[in-house]
Amino acid sequence: MEHAVSQTNPNSTWANLRGSWLTNLLMMVLIRLGAAIVPGISSEASWTLTNLVYNTSTFLMFHWVTGIPFDLNQNEYEGLTLWEQFDNGEQFTPTKKYLTALPIGLFLVSTHYTHYDLTTFAINLASVLVVLIAKLPAMHKVRIFGINKSHTD
Amino acid sequence: MSTYGLPPPLLVNGFARDLADSLVVAVNTTVAVAGQLYTYLPGHRILALYVRASYQNDPYRTLLEVGLIVFMVWYVLREKYKPGKKNLELPLSEKEVQELIDEWEPEPLVAPLSDVQRMDLDKAPIINGPSGPKVKLADGKERLNLASYNFLGALNQESTKEKAIAALRKYGVGTCGPCGFYGTIDVHMELEKEIARFMGVQDAIVYSQGFSTIGSVIPAFSKRGDIIVADEGVNFAVQIGLRISRSKVKYFKHNDMADLERVLQQVAREHRAKKNKPLTRRFIVAEGLYIDHGDICPLPEILALKHKYKYRLILDESFSIGVLGNQRGSGVCEHFGIERDGNVDITAATTANSVGAAGGFCCGTREIVEHQRLGGQGYVYSASLPAILAASAIEGIKYIESHPEQLALLRGHATVFRAALRKNLTGGGPPAMVDIEGEECSPVVHIRLIGGGGGDIAAMRSSSSATAAVAAAAAAARAEEDRVLQDVVDEVLRNGVLVTRAKYVEDHDAMIARPRPSIRVALSAAHSRKEVEKAASVVSAALKKVLKARR
Repeated sequence: MEHAVSQTNPNSTWANLRGSWLTNLLMMVLIRLGAAIVPGISSEASWTLTNLVYNTSTFLMFHWVTGIPFDLNQNEYEGLTLWEQFDNGEQFTPTKKYLTALPIGLFLVSTHYTHYDLTTFAINLASVLVVLIAKLPAMHKVRIFGINKSHTD
Repeated sequence: MSTYGLPPPLLVNGFARDLADSLVVAVNTTVAVAGQLYTYLPGHRILALYVRASYQNDPYRTLLEVGLIVFMVWYVLREKYKPGKKNLELPLSEKEVQELIDEWEPEPLVAPLSDVQRMDLDKAPIINGPSGPKVKLADGKERLNLASYNFLGALNQESTKEKAIAALRKYGVGTCGPCGFYGTIDVHMELEKEIARFMGVQDAIVYSQGFSTIGSVIPAFSKRGDIIVADEGVNFAVQIGLRISRSKVKYFKHNDMADLERVLQQVAREHRAKKNKPLTRRFIVAEGLYIDHGDICPLPEILALKHKYKYRLILDESFSIGVLGNQRGSGVCEHFGIERDGNVDITAATTANSVGAAGGFCCGTREIVEHQRLGGQGYVYSASLPAILAASAIEGIKYIESHPEQLALLRGHATVFRAALRKNLTGGGPPAMVDIEGEECSPVVHIRLIGGGGGDIAAMRSSSSATAAVAAAAAAARAEEDRVLQDVVDEVLRNGVLVTRAKYVEDHDAMIARPRPSIRVALSAAHSRKEVEKAASVVSAALKKVLKARR
């Protein structure tokens, strides 16, 4: 069922702010720096840690938790992940493009600066692929492996 | 082979060698030129370094990374779109557009009336003067009014009129705003206190329109994804509320407690089957006195099931306040001797019937009421109840409380009317032609034809899945039944009594079927015993006459 959008959804509009974009990038840098100052950590381990922490946290935030912390338009967004709430479900919007490009960029940079063995490479690649698949338009309102509660429209 | 004119093989080899050589030269020069161009690009050294460092002697790894970059570029270059919206525009030529315009015939602004609708319009009685226990029609003759919900006779009381006039002089006509925006005045707060005291609950909230009260109360609490289990026989206002709540609504058979338990168990089963159990609010919705059936809800059984399955109960008491109850007439709880506080969570009603004013209210615990001050749409977005109506409602409640004898009188009238109807129609036994519906003591009497088959609830439900022919046949039978009943109503009206057919919104795509056609009689304590007996004899005589002529 297609609803006319009568109210802006304050749960998702923040993501369109340029400040949010910058914050996202800064968080990434901070995670990397935090991982680097662990004593005795190898460069491979710190980059892997950065990848995993960033991808896991964005996955939980964008693709796992559903709903909205307050009541809006008779719970219109109940059962929708934050990614699905972004831009009211529109695909390929600037914010979505940016948030898709970021983990790819992080992965490429990390493979460049390290000499991953096969296992660590596979771990990093898997984490990137999981967040990328979740972002695909084909996964809009799709629930697999029991991820998310059943979506009611 | 050579007869087909092919050149000798040696020549082919020569061609191929030339072609290969020229290709190699072309590729080499292209690469050289590209390399030359590449060195002019800014940052080419960095890119070369990056590729060399990333390559790490593993072509597969590089392939994967190139794949990721390709994906990124693909994603970034896509046009944005909204899922679910398909582009259905067809390119049409000028001629085709003109053809479509020419053959277009505008639909009538008002659809032509059906036979039943035409009859409803033609047969509508016109009342000349104020409504009351007796009304004067346009022909100048007085009729006994058994069509209005003036159960206790609170309508047009002298004391109410005085209070209303005083309020009009003090406050003017309208309140000029919603309650939360300069619309609340002292009579509203007084009325809320008065209602809470009368109903025996913590608090009450006043709505400005009776019909929309329950339609605002239900969505205030039950949201998208919540579960409502409702009686099939609830009235139209409640159905509107159920619909706009956007909740999952399940119906149980009218006043059938076994069916209610079946539905509750089914909901519980479905809930258990879900992997991660969503926390939903769950409600049972019922009416105190069902206006479309004339019977009373079995409240003790509903409460037992509600407590057992952990539901909340929303009760529409629009027709039971000032009707049911022995001492004060505060509704169905008093009728069954049950404490309202702690049992019925949410009670909604209009003050337009027994109370004799207009508007509505909802009452319950303080939390229930306070939630609606910002969450009840009818309260938040409507101008508040005009002061004259609030003052009339206060007076109406006082009237109900100070006339407990009227309640007993009303119950007596109901019993007398039903008994007289049965006696006149069959001489004591159960009437063979009509079904007199409703509880013995209920002042709402529905008279339905036996064997009319005009689409009772079960038939209508099955017809939704059956063929269109079956549905059309049911509709025709229903229209026929309506016509017969209208003949009875006309005959009754000729003999000095005003009754009406129960009318429903015909074209509304209601989720539940309408009850079978009936004549609805609303008794009033303002009539005398003799008038009630006379009305019963007039109605039964008309029924006999019309039904005999039909055979």
